[in-house]
Amino acid sequence: METTVQSKKLTPGKVIVDIILFLLAIFFIFPLYWIVTGSFKDRVAVNANPPVWFPTQPTLDNYQRLFDNPALLWLGNTVLMAVAAMALTCITAAMAGYVLAKKRFPGRALIFSIMICAMALPKQVILIPLLKEMSFLGLHDTLWAVILPTVGWPFGIFLMKQFSETIPGEMIEAARIDGAGEVRTFVSVVLPMVTPGIGALAIFTFINSWNDYFLQLIMLNSTKSLTISLGIAKIQAEMSNDYGLIMAGAALAAIPIIAVFLAFQKYFTQGIAMGAVKG
Amino acid sequence: MKKQLSLLLAAGMTAGLLAGCGGSTSSTATESTASSTSSAATGETSGDNLSADITMWTYPIGQFSDADTVNSIITKFQESHPGINVTVEYLDYTNGDDQVTAAIEAGTTPDIVMEGPERLVSNWGAKGKMLDLSDLWTEDAVADISATSQAVVNACKGADGNYYEYPLCMTTHTMAINKEMFEAADALQYINEDGTWTTENFEKALQALKDSGVDTTMIVYCGGQGGDQGTRALVNNLYSGQFTNADHTAYTTDSDANKKALQQLLDWSNEGLISYDAAAQASDELQLFANGTVAMTLCWNASNQAQYASSVTFTPMAVAFPSDDGVPELCGGIWGFGIFDNGDDTKAAAAKEFIKFLCDDPEQGPESVRLTGFFPVRSSFGDVYTGTEDEDRMAQFSSFMQYLGDYYPVTAGWAEQRTAWWNMLQQIFTGTSVDDAVATYTTTSNDALAAAAA
Amino acid sequence: MASKTKATPAAGGEVLTYNKGTFRNSALVRQQTLAAYLFLLPALFFFVLFVVVPMVMCLVTSFFDYRMGKPLTFVGLNQYIKMFQDPTFLKALVNTFILVIVAVPTVTAFSLWVSSVVYKFSAFKRSFFRCIFYLPVVTGTVAVAVVWKWMFNKYTGLINYVLSATGVIDQNISWLGDARFALGCIILILFTTSIGQPIVLYIAALGNVDPSLIDAAEVDGANNFQVFWHIKWPQIMPTTLYILVITTINTFQCYALIQLLTSGGPNHATDTIMYYIYYQAFKLNDYGYGDAMGVILAIIIAVLSAIQFKVAGSGSGD
Repeated sequence: METTVQSKKLTPGKVIVDIILFLLAIFFIFPLYWIVTGSFKDRVAVNANPPVWFPTQPTLDNYQRLFDNPALLWLGNTVLMAVAAMALTCITAAMAGYVLAKKRFPGRALIFSIMICAMALPKQVILIPLLKEMSFLGLHDTLWAVILPTVGWPFGIFLMKQFSETIPGEMIEAARIDGAGEVRTFVSVVLPMVTPGIGALAIFTFINSWNDYFLQLIMLNSTKSLTISLGIAKIQAEMSNDYGLIMAGAALAAIPIIAVFLAFQKYFTQGIAMGAVKG
Repeated sequence: MKKQLSLLLAAGMTAGLLAGCGGSTSSTATESTASSTSSAATGETSGDNLSADITMWTYPIGQFSDADTVNSIITKFQESHPGINVTVEYLDYTNGDDQVTAAIEAGTTPDIVMEGPERLVSNWGAKGKMLDLSDLWTEDAVADISATSQAVVNACKGADGNYYEYPLCMTTHTMAINKEMFEAADALQYINEDGTWTTENFEKALQALKDSGVDTTMIVYCGGQGGDQGTRALVNNLYSGQFTNADHTAYTTDSDANKKALQQLLDWSNEGLISYDAAAQASDELQLFANGTVAMTLCWNASNQAQYASSVTFTPMAVAFPSDDGVPELCGGIWGFGIFDNGDDTKAAAAKEFIKFLCDDPEQGPESVRLTGFFPVRSSFGDVYTGTEDEDRMAQFSSFMQYLGDYYPVTAGWAEQRTAWWNMLQQIFTGTSVDDAVATYTTTSNDALAAAAA
Repeated sequence: MASKTKATPAAGGEVLTYNKGTFRNSALVRQQTLAAYLFLLPALFFFVLFVVVPMVMCLVTSFFDYRMGKPLTFVGLNQYIKMFQDPTFLKALVNTFILVIVAVPTVTAFSLWVSSVVYKFSAFKRSFFRCIFYLPVVTGTVAVAVVWKWMFNKYTGLINYVLSATGVIDQNISWLGDARFALGCIILILFTTSIGQPIVLYIAALGNVDPSLIDAAEVDGANNFQVFWHIKWPQIMPTTLYILVITTINTFQCYALIQLLTSGGPNHATDTIMYYIYYQAFKLNDYGYGDAMGVILAIIIAVLSAIQFKVAGSGSGD
């Protein structure tokens, strides 16, 4: 069921809100618009002052030069890394978030408090110890060195705890009375109800892991394990005024994320429909 | 994959030389001018039977950022040293230092690193991370290099007397002007034949440019430390100040000459003769120079000239920094190799063989220098550009070599000083008095120097 | 009001809504505890190994003089004392608080407003706007910074171009290079890159509010504001709490934009603690001092989070 509570009548207030939203949308689209159009501009147009609003003579030259780099390998590495981080985070966080929200057991408050405090600790501070640990485990300069700290970060657990709290205790109790074990209760009652949360978490983890270039920079140092963010940072550092190429790289890096975002969007809709049916 | 990467790296090869100084506009991948004839006789007998896998990290120094070029050098090297494999990773100036820091802490440093003494000697060397290269510095090498400049020898030697760098090439950092803009403003008359000018004439030139309608003559950029040698050289030269004392034990920006120069820049800025931009770094300034917005750049050298010549629509002309007596003292750049102390004697020996091949081999040595786009530190190499297409351009820059000043970036506390420097410029141009800002800078820098020496 | 909330399947709230009858006997409690820990185990494994262990190491080294190339020496609280005598740190602390005080309420309020308008739209329009506001996040900080740096450029930037073309200014402004504007510019960019996630969450949360409750309230004659305040607001409280906490944490940890755009300048106007920690650790290799600042920053954020939990918890209890 779609909750289309669309305006019953058009009031001046609604029109003004729509106009404001529309203007804001332009403001938020602009950077990506500029990147995408910039990636098709030639060297003169991309640096022109006054600015060229639209590439009248689009060129693929920037993309050709981008693919002179192993951009696809970078992309592949990054997808591998982000998907692994996303999958592991969603599984572990959904399980942990559920019990933290719905079960009372000794140590629960303590564990949750420690997680919140840990979240507060700036990541950059633990990078050096993390580095030593990865080096000790022999994982430095492998994608695991980037994946594992992302999975360990308790944001996901916190998010899933907040989502799991909206599950009514009666439904869990009902499942138990029907004779469902812990695992079955989790899989058949809890998981379907927190799907929107998992959808959101999947997107957030994927994107954070994708964009966390400083962690990647510190943990990865050989060409074979470069990620797209690092690759683009490298292009940017070396060709600091070749905006066309930088824009092409940024556009390429954004496409998979937009795809993931659109793919997982439907889980929100499902969640909304489900919530409405239950009512 | 390497090949693909190399094209990009070739394109960006000179970007940001010395501390992220510049960016590149040209993507012309210059073909390696490597002479393909390699002789087996170049191999050192001592290295013939060494067997090791070593790694090298290079900062983008000329074509040493180009994988194809570097791989062809390695192939030549392996003819005489078949047992030694060299893997190369390419750093950039924005992230390179962070990557090396991470590698040091993770214990995954490469064997060889290519950069200048301010990193190899006064940073990692002073922190005990580098191997002593004294055995590379034979009497012959010391004599040959000091014949070019004693400053180079001194710069490669740490405070403990060990050599942490074996140098390959050097240059001077200069300014460049937009020749057509100067011509149009009738301002070329203020520059001497040899590219030097006096502070007095510099001011006249600024005035002439302004009168002819040039909006932005020059920018004192201080948005970060990138390319700060330009602002340092400008300040030091205007009234012949010194950046540090002679034995590099104190920062001397608080001298009257330097303070006078800073006040002069502030006055010019207030009169609208020059601009100040705390959001711009050297790479931004170069970009504005390249697209014709600003009439001169403070961040120029032979490599930038090579890179920009083909992509700009005007004639960039290298000039010295203006000084009151007309005799500039230019900042130098030195690049070479160091070896990280990874506790493996075999690898260290193999790394030394490779460095010797790159720097000392009678055939590869001059070729290595040409690949950097700078000048040899060994006087025995003579003019390595004779007979090449780069001869004219390099001759122009080689005339500035006589003005090479003290190589002070090896002074302790350098990293702290760099931040304090651009913060000081920002303070001066936003209302803090020159005296106060300079005092803060000098205290911070000298404290850091004392702490590092302790 | 309270009874209505309880009847809602989607009802949330910080207060746990489990059934006390579950804990009938101690055998069941033991079984429950065991099950809970088994569910927690995978998450705890990664959390302890890759967050807690380095965190403890960081806490320990904050009491040591720990610099690259120097022997590790115990210095007690010295670095904590040094910190509060360090003018750059204090300036960074002030800037960080300004950033948080301005950005967190703005981001939260704005995303709630956008969401409450957008969630009523048709599925397509809703997806469209959700996507639009998420774009700056998708684009990635590095790329966004490149565009904004150009927009703010003194000589060739879009903003000066527009302002001087329309006659608002007659002299170009170096937006990021002027101490009066630089922090504001950073806040603006931070704002655009921060609201995507809250909007996604708020739209999901608002969509989960039971429409029959809203209908019932409207039948009872409640106006829009009353419906929002009495029905929607309590139900989206867990989401609001999450958004407040993560936005606060993210804002405190903002450093990439600063590194890419201003390096803390002009004249420390945009220095934040995070950037200063990065600078100490990675530029000066003074890890111990960086760790000590990190510990202080973590304590500040943890205290603020605790306050947010308290306030949000009591808010939803009404």
